[in-house]
Amino acid sequence: MTDHDNAYEGLLGGDDSQWAFGTDFEDPLAGVDTTIADGVDPAGLAAYCLMLGDDALVYSHRLSQWASNAPDLEDDIALANIALDLLGQARLLLARAAAADPTVVPVLPEGSPVPAEDALAFFRDEAGFRNVRLVEPEDADFGVTVARLLLFSTYRLALLERLRSSNDTVLAAIATKGVKEVAYHRDYAARWFLTLAQGTDESRRRLLAGLAVVWPLRAELFETHPVEATAAEEAFGVDPAVVADEVDLLLEQVLSVSGVERPDVRPTGPLGRGAGRDGRHTEAMGRMLAEMQVVARAHPQGRW
Amino acid sequence: MTTTRTAPALETAKRVAAQVTDPEMPMLTLADLGVLRDVAVEDDAVTVTITPTYSGCPAMATMRDDLVHRLLDHGFDDVRVRVALTPAWSSDWISERGRQALRDHGLSAPGPAPAAGGPVPLTLRPTRRDLACPRCGSSATAVTSEFGPTACKAMYRCEDCLEPFEHVKEI
Amino acid sequence: MTAQTQETRPGDEGPDERPDEAALLAAFDATIARHDRIEPRDWMPEKYRSTLVRQIAQHAHSEIIGMQPEGNWITRAPSLRRKAILLAKVQDEAGHGLYLYSACETLGVSRQELTLKLIEGRQKYSSIFNYPTLSYADVGTIGWLVDGAAICNQVPLCRTSYGPYGRAMIRVCKEESFHQRQGFELLSTMMRGTEAQRAMVQESVDRFWWPALMMFGPPDDDSPNTEQSMAWGIKRDTNDELRQKFVDMSVPQAAALGVTLPDAGLVWNAERGHHDFTQPDWEEFYAVVKGSGPCNAQRIAHRRRAHEDGAWVRDAATAFARTQQETAS
Ligand SMILES: [Fe+2]
Ligand SMILES: [Fe+2]
Ligand SMILES: [Zn+2]
Repeated sequence: MTDHDNAYEGLLGGDDSQWAFGTDFEDPLAGVDTTIADGVDPAGLAAYCLMLGDDALVYSHRLSQWASNAPDLEDDIALANIALDLLGQARLLLARAAAADPTVVPVLPEGSPVPAEDALAFFRDEAGFRNVRLVEPEDADFGVTVARLLLFSTYRLALLERLRSSNDTVLAAIATKGVKEVAYHRDYAARWFLTLAQGTDESRRRLLAGLAVVWPLRAELFETHPVEATAAEEAFGVDPAVVADEVDLLLEQVLSVSGVERPDVRPTGPLGRGAGRDGRHTEAMGRMLAEMQVVARAHPQGRW
Repeated sequence: MTTTRTAPALETAKRVAAQVTDPEMPMLTLADLGVLRDVAVEDDAVTVTITPTYSGCPAMATMRDDLVHRLLDHGFDDVRVRVALTPAWSSDWISERGRQALRDHGLSAPGPAPAAGGPVPLTLRPTRRDLACPRCGSSATAVTSEFGPTACKAMYRCEDCLEPFEHVKEI
Repeated sequence: MTAQTQETRPGDEGPDERPDEAALLAAFDATIARHDRIEPRDWMPEKYRSTLVRQIAQHAHSEIIGMQPEGNWITRAPSLRRKAILLAKVQDEAGHGLYLYSACETLGVSRQELTLKLIEGRQKYSSIFNYPTLSYADVGTIGWLVDGAAICNQVPLCRTSYGPYGRAMIRVCKEESFHQRQGFELLSTMMRGTEAQRAMVQESVDRFWWPALMMFGPPDDDSPNTEQSMAWGIKRDTNDELRQKFVDMSVPQAAALGVTLPDAGLVWNAERGHHDFTQPDWEEFYAVVKGSGPCNAQRIAHRRRAHEDGAWVRDAATAFARTQQETAS
């Protein structure tokens, strides 16, 4: 069994082209056909992709903060896994937005090698982000995380299930893949929800507190934004109001198995006439972006 | 696989591409893993089509790199790698040889993947699987973690020989 | 969600109660001599078991503590592709910890016990992680040099005498070599970037080169445990042999990158067929091992906080599993 030494051989440069050959960056959609269906407005498609992409990007960032901080090793791995799935979805969606309508991509200094997905993630200002506010805040503890992940993943899974029949082949493909992933996220959240609800008095107390923190941001998920209305009309996207009932039914299933009542809290209102989908965010968002974007912005001509 | 007039070149390209291995599970070739979807040669240009196992797969760039540079080494000057997102990768695509390679390396191979399409039912209990310990064959196995070291694996332990082992999940 | 309790404890059977210990020992020695594996259900000398527990635990702890220096940059990764690679890498390290704790559990100790030993400072982890990560280039340098040095140390362990450890190492090494390649690739991409990026890479390599050399442990003359461990097949090459191997393989890679290794004494010695190089500052090494590294206190405090903050969650899982079992039976 000399096979064990394979790692060594790679390391010792058994194949030296490995060291002379860098992976030149390619767009996550490189090689994918990005033609737009007839009757679809490219700008509308891009705006819609940014919404779904930003939800995934921002939430992935928050979940990634659990790395090396989770309650147990298994959960460290699981949360990183979920963050990674969402990051993958975000990259495809941002790239889809850029391919559909290049004008959504911030303009960088002449000669900058920064690819479109990164220009969107790292060089857009807060008001340019189109994610819902639910995904923005940093969680105080695992109870909040479980509650937030349950709300987010039931919502996203319902959207992606329908998006599988989008007339945009790229969106349909992203959704088909995403469904398998988010179904896992939802099961993970639901199992922990049940476990915390029925574990100890302390875990129940913390879960209920967490649920009360995230519940007010739920209503925003199902409000139809004009971009989403157009997306549904032109058959490339989903009107979130349409999935509200089925998401609610699913939540009810988890709540009742867990013996948990819906929190009696008022929904968080919009800011003036807008909310997350209009670029109006929580205070947490700016701090998050400041951290996320700091290195990229220090090197607008940088190659990573 | 696409058929073209340049049959010998196509055979070579297919053979070379089929030998490239997964960077994280080098006991599996991309072909055995079901990631390699197609190899086509037209006017001396090779187009290889691959599909990611999951959206966030950080190994995609490395696979692309390996394919390009192996084919360049074999005299192809124009190599393109296409990514196909549909149909989405399924663990059912792991070949019989791939499954044997997994077992030979102490991993448990996936069972049949759940049917795709339609709403996904909520499962509040960990997935029950009837597995055999890849070391001693015992069926007395217990899941220790539904999420293994990489996204596609779960962790188990054999109650008989005590071996901790990984199971490649059904997706 | 987690099942980490170990009901079967091979160690409990205790060698002392066995009348035919001499015969058992002879069989054990013969297995080692044949380079066969010792398996969890096999008899083993208590000293072998405890040495293994210490070594595997230390290795597992290193994986877990090792998540911190790189985890420090996940939220600031400068591109989405790099963020995915880094997050996956840190997750892999958690997975390595999981493999290794599992291997350790086959020797009759629990992960909980080992974790307590770590946060109480009674078991060690690799000193390299007591150095800070100060720029994004450090992510690449850690992949290239630190994972690279770790592989040099670990590849021989794939053939180690204890089965579950050896098999865990085979899996770990495959992933480490992927990490090393990605680290190198980050540095090589940055070297093709701006002047500021190249300077960042060089500064990072300057900082990590010496601590990386220390990863192989003190020179052989000062390394007390080596002999017995080699006899048992727990260790397979001496510290100095591995260090030399690492230096020899790093030199051409540094040249390919276009960075300078910060050692004026680094020259090819045709007679030996190896590079001569300057030893790292062993005073610094011992100081860091004893706890005075730049990040020792911080790393342990972080682990302790995560462990303590998570106690209520683990308690809930245990309580829930118990009630589930009760209602089932
Ligand atoms: Fe590791
Ligand atoms: Fe590593
Ligand atoms: Zn077994």
